[in-house]
Amino acid sequence: MFKHDRISAIRPELEAIVGADNVRTDEAEILMYSYDAGMARARPEAVVTFTGTGQVAPVIKLLYKEGIPFLPRLAGTNLSGGTIPLKGGVILNLSRLKKIRQIDTLARLALVEPGVVNMELQRALEPFGFFYAPDPASQKVSTIGGNIGENAGGPLCLKYGVTSDNVEKLEVVTPEGEIKTWSYNDPGPDLMSLIVGSEGTLGVVTHAWLKILPLPRHIKTASAAFASLDDAMRAVTRIIGDGIVPRALEAMDSVSLGAALSGKPNPFPRGTEAVLIIELDGADTSKVKKELDDVEKICAANKATAFRVAGDETERELLWAARKGAYPAMARLAPDVLVEDGVVPRPRLPEALRETREILSKYKLTAGLLFHAGDGNLHPNIIFDRRDVQEVKRVKKAGYEILKSCIKLGGTISGEHGIGVEKRVAMNWLYGRDELDFFRRIKAAFDPLSLANPDKILPVAADARAEAAPESLADRASLSPQARGLVDELRLRSRAGEPTAVTGLGTRLKPGRITEGDKKLDLRALAGRVQIDRENLTARAEAGLSLQELRAQLKEAGLNIELPDIKGSVGGLIAAKVWPGIREILLGLEVVTADGTLLELGGRTVKNVAGYDAVKLFCGSMGAYGVIIAATFALSAGARRSAAAYKEPAAWDAFEPDEYHRRLKKALDARNLLNPWIYRNTP
Amino acid sequence: MSHNKQNDEENRDGAAAGLPPAAAHHIPSETNELYGRETGGRHLAALLTDLGERNIYDAAAQCNRCGYCETSCPTYMLTGRETLSARGRNQFMRLLLEGKAKSPADAAEALSTCLLCGACSSACYAKVPTPDIVLEGRRTLSGYGNGFLSRAAVKTLLDAPWLFGLWLKLAYLVKRTGLPRLAARLGLYDLLGMPGLADAESAVEKAPLRFAAELLAKDPALRPQGRTSVNWAYFAACGPNYIFTEVALATVRVLRRHAGEGVFIENQCCGLMAHNYGRLNDAREFARRNILRYEELKAVFGDFPLVADCSSCAAFMKSYEQLFTGDEEWRPRAAAFAAAVRDILEIIPAGKIEHAAADKLETAGRITYHDSCRAAHGQGIRVEPREVLKKLAGRRYTELPESDWCCGGAGAFAFTQPELSAAVLDRKLRNIASVQANTVVVGATSCLVQINAGLKAAYPAAKAVHYSVLLDGLTAEPAKRPDNAKIEL
Repeated sequence: MFKHDRISAIRPELEAIVGADNVRTDEAEILMYSYDAGMARARPEAVVTFTGTGQVAPVIKLLYKEGIPFLPRLAGTNLSGGTIPLKGGVILNLSRLKKIRQIDTLARLALVEPGVVNMELQRALEPFGFFYAPDPASQKVSTIGGNIGENAGGPLCLKYGVTSDNVEKLEVVTPEGEIKTWSYNDPGPDLMSLIVGSEGTLGVVTHAWLKILPLPRHIKTASAAFASLDDAMRAVTRIIGDGIVPRALEAMDSVSLGAALSGKPNPFPRGTEAVLIIELDGADTSKVKKELDDVEKICAANKATAFRVAGDETERELLWAARKGAYPAMARLAPDVLVEDGVVPRPRLPEALRETREILSKYKLTAGLLFHAGDGNLHPNIIFDRRDVQEVKRVKKAGYEILKSCIKLGGTISGEHGIGVEKRVAMNWLYGRDELDFFRRIKAAFDPLSLANPDKILPVAADARAEAAPESLADRASLSPQARGLVDELRLRSRAGEPTAVTGLGTRLKPGRITEGDKKLDLRALAGRVQIDRENLTARAEAGLSLQELRAQLKEAGLNIELPDIKGSVGGLIAAKVWPGIREILLGLEVVTADGTLLELGGRTVKNVAGYDAVKLFCGSMGAYGVIIAATFALSAGARRSAAAYKEPAAWDAFEPDEYHRRLKKALDARNLLNPWIYRNTP
Repeated sequence: MSHNKQNDEENRDGAAAGLPPAAAHHIPSETNELYGRETGGRHLAALLTDLGERNIYDAAAQCNRCGYCETSCPTYMLTGRETLSARGRNQFMRLLLEGKAKSPADAAEALSTCLLCGACSSACYAKVPTPDIVLEGRRTLSGYGNGFLSRAAVKTLLDAPWLFGLWLKLAYLVKRTGLPRLAARLGLYDLLGMPGLADAESAVEKAPLRFAAELLAKDPALRPQGRTSVNWAYFAACGPNYIFTEVALATVRVLRRHAGEGVFIENQCCGLMAHNYGRLNDAREFARRNILRYEELKAVFGDFPLVADCSSCAAFMKSYEQLFTGDEEWRPRAAAFAAAVRDILEIIPAGKIEHAAADKLETAGRITYHDSCRAAHGQGIRVEPREVLKKLAGRRYTELPESDWCCGGAGAFAFTQPELSAAVLDRKLRNIASVQANTVVVGATSCLVQINAGLKAAYPAAKAVHYSVLLDGLTAEPAKRPDNAKIEL
């Protein structure tokens, strides 16, 4: 009763903005917005449909003022309950905002509204010879707005990156109804990337400038059959380890294959347990050909039982049919399919798959395994019937166990489907208390009243804690004595209220900027040996290490980091963001906050959409949000791809903080202890 | 394609065997009292889905809400409202069945706005039969199909087709006297259950005063008497029969030209109108009469294709079995009937078609093909008519973008949901204009009315033409009579 009334009270105002027809509170509409493609259910109080992007901010402003929760919704195809209105309130239906406003092939940008369907954009780009890289399986229906909200991936993201790597700039309506335009290129902390994957909890995207790429001139597709999953995964690790970056490297197990091919001739040898689909592209046909030969050799060396190359477009589609037909086939076997989404470091895939199979058989469930093998992203497609309460319980338990197994293997709980409500509890298993608290502060800085898609992503009290509290990160063995010393030092300073100037190696910071009384914090000693994971192609380097030294150590190991020639330290590279391209290779960060809390953000996997993308928030943070003590990078094998000279922007520190930069600063370092000159004027 | 280390013989079903049998399990379900064991025949006993026979609840529950149908649903694409989407309609039915939605009346808008085009089922991996589910839903709406007018129309057509015809002619006469408004006010069209006709008048240029059935019945060459075998039998759908007589006559000429001799089955209405009005028992009665008529001929001629020239009609007759899922006696007979039904769109083999004469093509201009929903989504007919048209028109044939986007006609939809219908049509017209077509080939009567009405107002350079009429006009009489080889069923 009360709930309905709070809508009635503002109905005239809402109608004045969007028109009477576009404010709906009738039972039918409420019911129809109480579900999405996931399992959760909750009823909204009203559905507001927009017919122009300009209507979004005034509506949000009004709702915020009235204290009514809201959340944006588009195609409703998300798989984690992200569009379920847990606290009632208003559904902001953006699906009619579907104009492609501009395609600029010179600047390689497309400007779109959030409701543009991914595939529609691809169709519009094709005549110009361009494409937009993220290609989630749902691309036929899912929208750019939704893709941004969930930070969607897809097969092509192995080579071209996930959504957050392909967004240039966003126009965002903040929870309080302010319109902001943020780009990852802007000086200062990267707010744009924080929005990507935030599932509508930090704001609503009303325009997106997307990176578009020229269609590759040559594409070669091959399939390889293996008698064991392990052999197939070893081949994957070798392919990537040899410096080949396929545009897609997909895998499926025999259950998926059997379902996809049921009733059709099976082109693979008897006893096939795993199939890889490998697709290479490039502008140079001889290079593609050479890579294909190499791939074939690697597969043969790993006991492939068949290897075939598509001769033309029809054969190429035939090869893909086995992969793309798997989900549809599973969807025919039972009324419901749970598409689980976990990520592990690539070399751990065989273990992850073995454990997943064990979990599934323990719970007597049928599932086809599909995975973006190149990224270590696995999708068990578990079939069940939602009407069978016992079966649903088993499915949920199995899903959680699979996620726990991913965490145990050094991975994460979501690669591209988001957290929503259904994986909220798993955030407890992945992160420590401090990281979760850190995420909560980010949320509170953007949305003090917690009205934007409330109770999503971050665990609420009802979500049980992990059985055993995770070890305190500061006690971890991997932390060097120097890093430990630094954590202690910052704790002492915090207690004493002493302001700190994080100086790094002193490469860029002009001494004149440092305010009087700031105690310097030299990171020179934080320069231990780079920890290289050769198979996973990642490296963890401490913040004080010079980039020159980082490169030297990697070269010694026969590896490479795609980084232009930049001076300074690892920490400085990130904190100063003199090269915005850093977003493409930075996977994880270890950060000490102003009060001496150690946070581990991101991880060792290329795909990770668990929680806010705080790793990128520290890009350009200039030491004011926290002290970076170590970073994990994605490496590449083989020769360096480009060694073009890089000219650092001279005015890298010409940074005028946005209101939201200031709010975050307040939330993370309320006493302004770290590099206090940057936010000196914050009231 | 290069095969390495590959043994072709032994891999036919190697991996397919890896699928555990548990996957096929099926949960018996209890439906709530709304759909309990009712014996009145108001509902279908079971739906025949792509995955097998299912009760309504299981059929609706097969939707896993992935949403992949949404972009194919015209009403969703136009309104952006989940409530008016394929997934939404399915969910609504499921929620009603589960008792989570309390009142069917709440579903009225969602159910009544469905075009029944079936594009969603085509897009669906599990081929959830949303149109059938929606129709089941409509039958639960109180008063649905029980309105005086629809009841009167269906009853008249069923019990006294001559009276139906008489009324229709009366209405046409009123129209000819130049008093269409009067006709509308008299409610004559409404009385016929075809309120559409009142608005469609502008599309119907020459209202026939002799119906096709009357003309064909008089043609001695089409009488079964004295024959021992036929290559085909013609089923006069209501559209060609009562409104577009020239379509029926063209169909018969085309059939004789390309498929040899056949007969006119002197059928009743296929029952689709009664079916879509929610009057299932009446639809069954139409079906039984047609089945009986078919069986009479079959006893004499053996197997023959029963050809209809309206895709809605053909698609509905192909689904006759579903009407009788609870009826052991009639079900196999309906299945046998359905197996004989052919759409004119699929029966003319492209191999027998030659490139049309230049002057005839000149008149037709640029030709394109509109996939009528009940042909493409309802019967899976996409390739056959295109092959014929390509052979016939060569380079003058051009593909229509979004050719299987509904035109918005959808039976009476254009009149019950005028705004939505107009928006759906608008997109169709834009696509036609985008390829600068002059002739839009269609296979269903309602498309013919709807697209022509739209083109007349917005793009008069083009007009919609029935497939049979185009074929009849473009193919010359062959020098020798065609071989009398039977058409394979």
